[in-house]
Amino acid sequence: MKFPVKNRLVMALRFVFLAVSFFMGASVAYSQAPEAPESEPVGQAMAWLERLGPALNMTSYEGVFVYARGDQVHSMRIAHRYRDGRVEERLVMQDGGSGEIVRKGMHVVCVLPDHGRIRLDEVIPSGPFAEAFTSQLMPFGQWYLPELIGEDRVAGYDVVTVALTAKDKHRYSHRLWLEKSTGLLVKSHVRDVDESVLEHFQFTSLNITDDIPDSEFDVQTQGREITRHLDAQKARQTPVGRMNGWTLNWQPEGFMPAAAPRSGKGKAVAFSDGLATFSVFVEPVKKLKMPTGASRIGATTVYMREVSVADRAFLVAVVGEIPPGTARKVADAVTIDSDVARGWPVSDH
Amino acid sequence: MDERLRETLSAMMDDEADELSVRRLLSHGNQDEIRAQWQRWQQVRDLMHESHFAPYSIDVAGAVREAIDGQAVPADSRRKARAVATSYWHWPVAAMVALALVVGFGAGAGWESQPGDVTDILAAAGIDEGGAAELTSAVEEVAWQRLDEDQLRQMRQYLLEHAQHNSVGAGGGSMGYARMVSANGGY
Repeated sequence: MKFPVKNRLVMALRFVFLAVSFFMGASVAYSQAPEAPESEPVGQAMAWLERLGPALNMTSYEGVFVYARGDQVHSMRIAHRYRDGRVEERLVMQDGGSGEIVRKGMHVVCVLPDHGRIRLDEVIPSGPFAEAFTSQLMPFGQWYLPELIGEDRVAGYDVVTVALTAKDKHRYSHRLWLEKSTGLLVKSHVRDVDESVLEHFQFTSLNITDDIPDSEFDVQTQGREITRHLDAQKARQTPVGRMNGWTLNWQPEGFMPAAAPRSGKGKAVAFSDGLATFSVFVEPVKKLKMPTGASRIGATTVYMREVSVADRAFLVAVVGEIPPGTARKVADAVTIDSDVARGWPVSDH
Repeated sequence: MDERLRETLSAMMDDEADELSVRRLLSHGNQDEIRAQWQRWQQVRDLMHESHFAPYSIDVAGAVREAIDGQAVPADSRRKARAVATSYWHWPVAAMVALALVVGFGAGAGWESQPGDVTDILAAAGIDEGGAAELTSAVEEVAWQRLDEDQLRQMRQYLLEHAQHNSVGAGGGSMGYARMVSANGGY
């Protein structure tokens, strides 16, 4: 059977249309996500949270977000594109010194304000740490009660609000706002027991689109450029080496040792429960004496105490998004091996 | 567990253990202890190795882990472990940036100029009812204004390194870098 050219074209178009609408239909159906029954806010919340992880990487978007704690507010512009399995990202600082970071897959370029006093080689880790946590199994549901608590609108997008209420006093509660069609996190709170907001992150302008031009991912700031290539093969390090010389006898339930980038010169080990993280530093005291006690900035606590082992003074510091009481308990639970203490190299700082 | 077994275990982590040592390890009396140790290390190792874009070519360690698990762990509990694995999620990039920004931009300006802030929060927390208040009130407070320049510097160093650890969870890379870069800018 023969069709006139025009008819064939029409048929082809019709087929394309059908195919496109099929796939669109499928993707819409898929994005309607949570399969959990309506009556179960916990299950629904979990379903949303499961989408959050992939959404962070695989959604393409551009916008400006603010971060606030106490009376400080800072903002940053971001473009994030996921294409052919590769993440491209550009962040530009909007206040303070100018600077930007561009990442294309494993390749990272930073342009920094000139007045930086820290040597960047020390600051930027060489390991593939960026994705590290993401493959960790974090049954955070054991430590937080997830609940779908409502719907809202943020930066022009319809969102669902998920509360993650801490089940014990060792961690803070969180509240997350996720965009409905993609699951992208567009707003978040870290909250104290009295519901006061300690940390606040929020997109003020947002455009979720796959149509971001390549030029958006070019370095535009003039200045000192630092280039890094994230190499997964380099990260051969066991946690055992890091915790050599000291032991943590207590940590809040659910906090597991996490991968730590090796650039830091301190003897730090990070712990995470999937939501909150704290780092433990143990090092010999040099000339500098630090006071014992807790300092707070927003949700972050710095707790320090000095201990004397084998006639040598050590500083134990716990830094993290945990309540001061927890930080103190963790710091108190550090014991330094006296044999190691005697032979501890006097090198850092 | 003696030092030699730990070494073997550690070597296995790096796929470098010889067969004899592995056999000795597997025939060790206290398999529970070994398995626990292995799982702890493996967990951390997983963190560092299983990035999405750098899968192993050969996962010997994984196979051995299976072997070890297979000896004592009933199949259903293994299945349970896998089920848990699917319910993890990534820590929001959002809050990652958060700390860095404050460490960065806030470090120079905020802390010194609004030290009262910190004290207020502490004071407020101390008044609360419940266990947290109990904990909080027992914690000595160090206000930022009490710190001298060197001490502040040390404090920022800790915050910065912690920010790096946090960036581990960023999932998206740049966000983590953003925190560090801005931390750098604050110095």
